Amino acid sequence: MEITICIGSSCHLKGSRDVISILQRLVSLHHLEDKIELKGSFCMGECMNNGVCVCIDGERFNVLPYETEKFFNTEIMKRLNKA
Amino acid sequence: MKMHIDAAYRSLNKYGEELCGDKVQIIRREDSTIAVLADGLGSGVKANILSTLTSTILATMLNEGATVTQAVETLASTLPVCNIRKLAYSTFSVAQIFDDGQVDLVEFDNPPCMFVRNGKLVDLEPYSELKECAGKNVVESHFTIMPGDVITLVSDGVIYAGVGQALNFGWNWDNVSAWLAKMTLKEPSAPRLAASLCQAVGELYMDRPGDDSTCLVLKAIPKSVVNILAGPPVDKEDDPKMVHDFMVSPGKRMICGGTSANIVARVLNRKITTTLNYTDPTLPPIGHIDGIDLVTEGVLTLSRTVDILKKYLESGDTFDFRLLDEDNGAAMIAKILIEECTSVRIFAGRAINPAHQNPGLPADLSIKMQLLDTLCKLVERMGKQVECSFY
Repeated sequence: MEITICIGSSCHLKGSRDVISILQRLVSLHHLEDKIELKGSFCMGECMNNGVCVCIDGERFNVLPYETEKFFNTEIMKRLNKA
Repeated sequence: MKMHIDAAYRSLNKYGEELCGDKVQIIRREDSTIAVLADGLGSGVKANILSTLTSTILATMLNEGATVTQAVETLASTLPVCNIRKLAYSTFSVAQIFDDGQVDLVEFDNPPCMFVRNGKLVDLEPYSELKECAGKNVVESHFTIMPGDVITLVSDGVIYAGVGQALNFGWNWDNVSAWLAKMTLKEPSAPRLAASLCQAVGELYMDRPGDDSTCLVLKAIPKSVVNILAGPPVDKEDDPKMVHDFMVSPGKRMICGGTSANIVARVLNRKITTTLNYTDPTLPPIGHIDGIDLVTEGVLTLSRTVDILKKYLESGDTFDFRLLDEDNGAAMIAKILIEECTSVRIFAGRAINPAHQNPGLPADLSIKMQLLDTLCKLVERMGKQVECSFY
């Protein structure tokens, strides 16, 4: 699974670095390094939304740092279990 | 071969003095660079006035096309006479370096110029002659330089570094020039070379210089351009044109801006990769596109770059070059602008990013054009050419 996190200016200010480090920690905590690839991308054009743009296999979400863990447990784990 | 002169100087004030008695003036002309180093008699205010007058008169007159003789005559009759010594006196060295490498050097009582090629000192004596000029004995030299050559002018404080303290007779010309020849191989740019020479002098004086010490380093480098693309064009239809202009311009290429990077990647049909490697927590990571030397985020990175450039220009003698070696986008841009280019071409898109107008954002992101403008002015102050085109 490929997860792309926007590191453009707006998302950077909304905390993409925190989102990334939380995701990185969760991935290694669950030993999912083989299954999940975390990537960065410059502006994905979702700046108007509230939250950092995170893209799972082409599907876009807006995630704030404090929601990241919930987002991981729901959206990401759900898709992993399905696959 | 057309050359650019990378010029840098640093001064140490005599211990306890607020003003420096040495003065450097650098004038950029279309076809040449004129650099003057003057060392006023005595120290403090008096020396500062003498050397400022001397260097300004020389630089201005030469710039307006006067001969050295005329300039020296003017000097001799203008300089105020020192009350104690009954002398009007300031030593000086003037170098005019043309784009094609021709150097005209005139020296009056300053330590002789140190000319280094390929890490070896070159003796200038065969190219020099002693002349009388308005009642003063000056040494005139004519020679040619090649890219990579380094000309260093110093005031006598450098030659006497450490006299009576660390060294009995000071550092002396032979040792300074030998040290310098070796250092030209280690320190790639004029600013760093000037900085390390001054640091060495300060150490020999044990941080209490007995005299004003100044070094002026002139390094010939081939002309090198860096192209910067920043910001999307107002009209989306201009995307290909802007990218085309940017890609056909010779030289290094940098992209400052995520959206701009996306545009370039799309137009060129190349992949853009970004790392998640936050080497500096306050700046977004850099990216990569094949064929582009550096890809960074926009405003946040640029505003940091502007900070670094300001620091570089304003802190002058105390600038810490480690700031340029840091592993982040802003430092990389600053390093290229300061040390690796002689002129800058900017391709600026004037589009306003609607997302950046969001008042909920903690920082003012709508200042891109203003940032670029400041950046241009700063780079110009470093003696580099700046060209700007807007889209």
